[in-house]
Amino acid sequence: MGISCSQMSSSGQYSYSYIFKYIIIGDMGVGKSCLLHQFTEQKFMPDCPHTIGVEFGTRIIEVHGEKIKLQIWDTAGQERFRAVTRSYYRGAAGALMVYDITRRSTYNHLSSWLTDTKNLTNPNTVIFLIGNKMDLEGSRDVRYDEAKKFAEENDLIFVEASAMTGENVEQAFLETAKKIYQNIKDGKLNANMTESGVQHKERGGPASLGDSSSSDKPNCSC
Amino acid sequence: MNSVQKLLSSDETIISSHEVSLVQGWMRSSKHLIILEKNRDLRGLLVVSETVDYALPIDSDFKFDVDSESKSKNVGDVFISISYQKQKLLFEMLPPSKANTFINELLRAMEYQSRRKTAGDYSWLKKYSKKTDLSLENQGVVMDASKLLLDYNEHIPRHSVARGAMQPVAARDSVIKYQMGMMEDQYTYTQGIQIFIGTWNVNGQSPSCSLSDWLSITTDPPHVYAIGFQELDLSKEAFLLNETPKEGEWLRAVTKSLHPGAVYKEICLVRLVGMMLIVFVEENLAQRVDHVVCDTVGTGFMGKFGNKGGVAIRMDLEMTSLCFVNSHLAAHTEEYERRNQDFHVIASSISFNGFLPPKSIKDHDQIYWLGDLNYRITDLDLMRVKNLINQGQYETVLEHDQLKRQHDLGHVFSGYKEGPIHFRPTYKYDVGTDEWDSSEKARAPAWCDRVLYRGEDIKQLVDYKSIPSLKISDHKPVIALFNSDIRIIDMNKYRKKLEEVMKRLDKVENEFLPQVMVDMNDFNFDTLRFLEAQSKTLIIANTGQVPVRFEFIKKCDDSNYCKDWLRIEPYTGFIDPGDKCDVKLVVYVDKRCASKINSGQDKISDILVLHLEGGKDLFITVQGTYERSVFGCSIETLVHLNVPLREISPDKLKELERSRDSSSVSTYSVPKEIWFLVDHLYRNGLKQQNLFEHPGLPSEVLLIRNWLDTGSTDPIPGSVHSVAESLLLLLESTAEPLIPYNLHEACLTASTSYLQCKQIISSLPLHSKNVYLYLCSFLQELLSHSDENGLDGKTIATLFGQIFLRDSPRSRNDPSARERVNQTKARKKASFVYHFLVNDFSDLISPVHVS
Repeated sequence: MGISCSQMSSSGQYSYSYIFKYIIIGDMGVGKSCLLHQFTEQKFMPDCPHTIGVEFGTRIIEVHGEKIKLQIWDTAGQERFRAVTRSYYRGAAGALMVYDITRRSTYNHLSSWLTDTKNLTNPNTVIFLIGNKMDLEGSRDVRYDEAKKFAEENDLIFVEASAMTGENVEQAFLETAKKIYQNIKDGKLNANMTESGVQHKERGGPASLGDSSSSDKPNCSC
Repeated sequence: MNSVQKLLSSDETIISSHEVSLVQGWMRSSKHLIILEKNRDLRGLLVVSETVDYALPIDSDFKFDVDSESKSKNVGDVFISISYQKQKLLFEMLPPSKANTFINELLRAMEYQSRRKTAGDYSWLKKYSKKTDLSLENQGVVMDASKLLLDYNEHIPRHSVARGAMQPVAARDSVIKYQMGMMEDQYTYTQGIQIFIGTWNVNGQSPSCSLSDWLSITTDPPHVYAIGFQELDLSKEAFLLNETPKEGEWLRAVTKSLHPGAVYKEICLVRLVGMMLIVFVEENLAQRVDHVVCDTVGTGFMGKFGNKGGVAIRMDLEMTSLCFVNSHLAAHTEEYERRNQDFHVIASSISFNGFLPPKSIKDHDQIYWLGDLNYRITDLDLMRVKNLINQGQYETVLEHDQLKRQHDLGHVFSGYKEGPIHFRPTYKYDVGTDEWDSSEKARAPAWCDRVLYRGEDIKQLVDYKSIPSLKISDHKPVIALFNSDIRIIDMNKYRKKLEEVMKRLDKVENEFLPQVMVDMNDFNFDTLRFLEAQSKTLIIANTGQVPVRFEFIKKCDDSNYCKDWLRIEPYTGFIDPGDKCDVKLVVYVDKRCASKINSGQDKISDILVLHLEGGKDLFITVQGTYERSVFGCSIETLVHLNVPLREISPDKLKELERSRDSSSVSTYSVPKEIWFLVDHLYRNGLKQQNLFEHPGLPSEVLLIRNWLDTGSTDPIPGSVHSVAESLLLLLESTAEPLIPYNLHEACLTASTSYLQCKQIISSLPLHSKNVYLYLCSFLQELLSHSDENGLDGKTIATLFGQIFLRDSPRSRNDPSARERVNQTKARKKASFVYHFLVNDFSDLISPVHVS
């Protein structure tokens, strides 16, 4: 029989193939929760109460044609919770470090946030610096080029954004994912390691087994 | 399950059941699927929650598809979609690892039913549920995803979600596919394409002429060609070995003669002996062809050889599934029933692999069935047939066509249609002519070569005809031209819809994350005192839409989810939406933790992490001020205290506790608190029955605590039992027992030798030694009154052994410390102390420093 028939193949073409864990850190009141809300809901949340704990949000994005599920942990910024929130850094693939361009003190504390991040995450964790509240140009207290310089010196990706208008918010989350994705493709980040903050679905990790709500998310703050 | 079991008749059994979650819109709910069998014959499928939702006959209308996200691996989700008539339900199999057994049973049930000759009576299923209509609108659950996208908020069955009966769907491939499938018409459009079907019984001839007259007669080039041959090669080799040079010859001839107005790609060629089918698709359209599979079935000699039978090719063209069947059915005028049977065998046996379950011919949107079907003209005189045909009166002759008759009776090709026949019979001619068979047999003319079709959106064009100019065979070739609509994806619209679905899934996931509110994040306890519990209530209210399981979890370095002076009751629980849970926070500083707070090693301050399963964490801060007490102070600190403890600042106390200075000159040789308590017992308790065994009153112990802490000059309050208990408590609240932990091993080893025990005691830090000897002296005195107080040395030694040689908290948690080991240890501790209750140890007593 002279047949040449192709056989059907079935592979996941719709759903996500990676899970990236993000943390959002920075001083109290810089707008971390609002950034998360703007990213997941495309809405500004006025009168957002202080986060007392760690908020959780998720969104599926696309990078180079691959669907990626972001799991974002938005941490409390208050100094008194610092010791507790430190335990959420572990296994983060991306860290969004936020300051408020209208409050210099929040900028001055960046080095301490950076130290924590470097100490508590893996060397390939992508750190993205966000100067939030760029819509409040009139009350600006930190110059763009100054922060830009700080970012360059510390090898951070930097953007000014506004959780209020949504400007550059999407970009910050997406750029971080692109960088992480690039690190995986370059072999810098091993998606099989638990510390990497990345799960690859094809590897049969926990993400592909059972319900996402029970296995995707840590049940211990460690 | 129970509701089903109750309804089972004696001839009905449950074959298999599986836990599933039914995907409805953006929600899923848990169900059971149950396969029932009646009379070892008919099978049905039940969808069961608390009661039976659906009872579906597993008959010819029943279909299912398995969609596993990682078919080759063991892990991954398994979804099956079950359709009955035109409706569909999607189920996620839980757990996926065990889905195979159930799926195999379902496959078997379907296979069994496909072999049945008659339709079964499924009325027995009605007692389970009358619903065979899968429409979920009947259940108040709208399935229309397009509506859901717009009015999503109104169509979420929030009530069911709140009860925990439903959960939001997870962003799984199958779920997304299902969502996309529901709004297919929003991102697809139909396009008419021209499909050319050709069939020719070539009587074993080689292609000695051009086929253009047959294959290239349309104005516009067709988009798809499906060309079938019969009797391609009548040789023995072809029959026995299924090998023939004719395959290549005819393929080349066909390829050369396709419409010159387009370039064609050969999609598939399949042949069984003399039956060959080739599908070509126009080059550009060919890129959109997928899942091409073919199969063959022989119905000839012995009912299975390939001299008769069928070959088939299936493919997806964009969203439309197409199936082409070329068959050569049984010959001879009188054998029409064999032909009917051959048709049924082919229809049920052709099976396209690569799908689970494999697809059969009927599972396609459009079916084109061509071939030498071999039906003849009966009950009509041969001459009359020829005359009528010559006069062009085909209709009269066709009334006697076996295929028309059998088709009208529903015996064959049910559901298929055929275009009107306006052409001369295609059989049987003298080769090389247009003359009817002039041989001895003089076979009657017949429309042996036919094309039938089944499916929506197929329009038969007028071109259903034979080509008389091709004369190399005793059959004439036939063509049928169709204008068929195929469903095409508009990629832009598709991407947009997919994006919408993904966004919606994100939203569903975020919206249905567990959410709670707490009435307070900060708890402040004022003036906490030793052994006085205070409690406050934390109210956790479920403000979200899903049931929440909460738990207080450990922070990284901690061994417990809260400090040891705090109790959380309950520390884990389950709250329904709209409901709340009262959690009691009890602060209680006792002998285990007082010393740590006195020394500043710990303070009344803790951050609790309240974790919501599958969601966020909340922080609860607990703080308090603690009024320090002599309980929890070390011996060294107490001997240096020359004022009541209340007059000492916490910082000063911390400093004393940290230095634990045993060398410097102290105010007292034994702590005055111990002296007060012992002295009181010496004066009032020597003759007291059950001293140290009888518990004191908690309220009196608190009074004694205050008396000691304030340095009161009043008489000691409370009974001797309360005083005795306070003494023990004082000794038990210190950071280290009177004999430090590092000497315990030595003590246990030395317990048989008084001499060695004495050596250990003499090596103790000065103040500990003093207290030890002071207490032992008192105990000797107490035992000298055993006639009156009924105490005996063994009991006292055991009690004080546990106090002087108190185990460290860590070893108490050690699960390996077995009961028996502990008993041995307790005996040795008692022996150690016993030596000092019965021997004179005055040689150990240093000269008393009198201040």
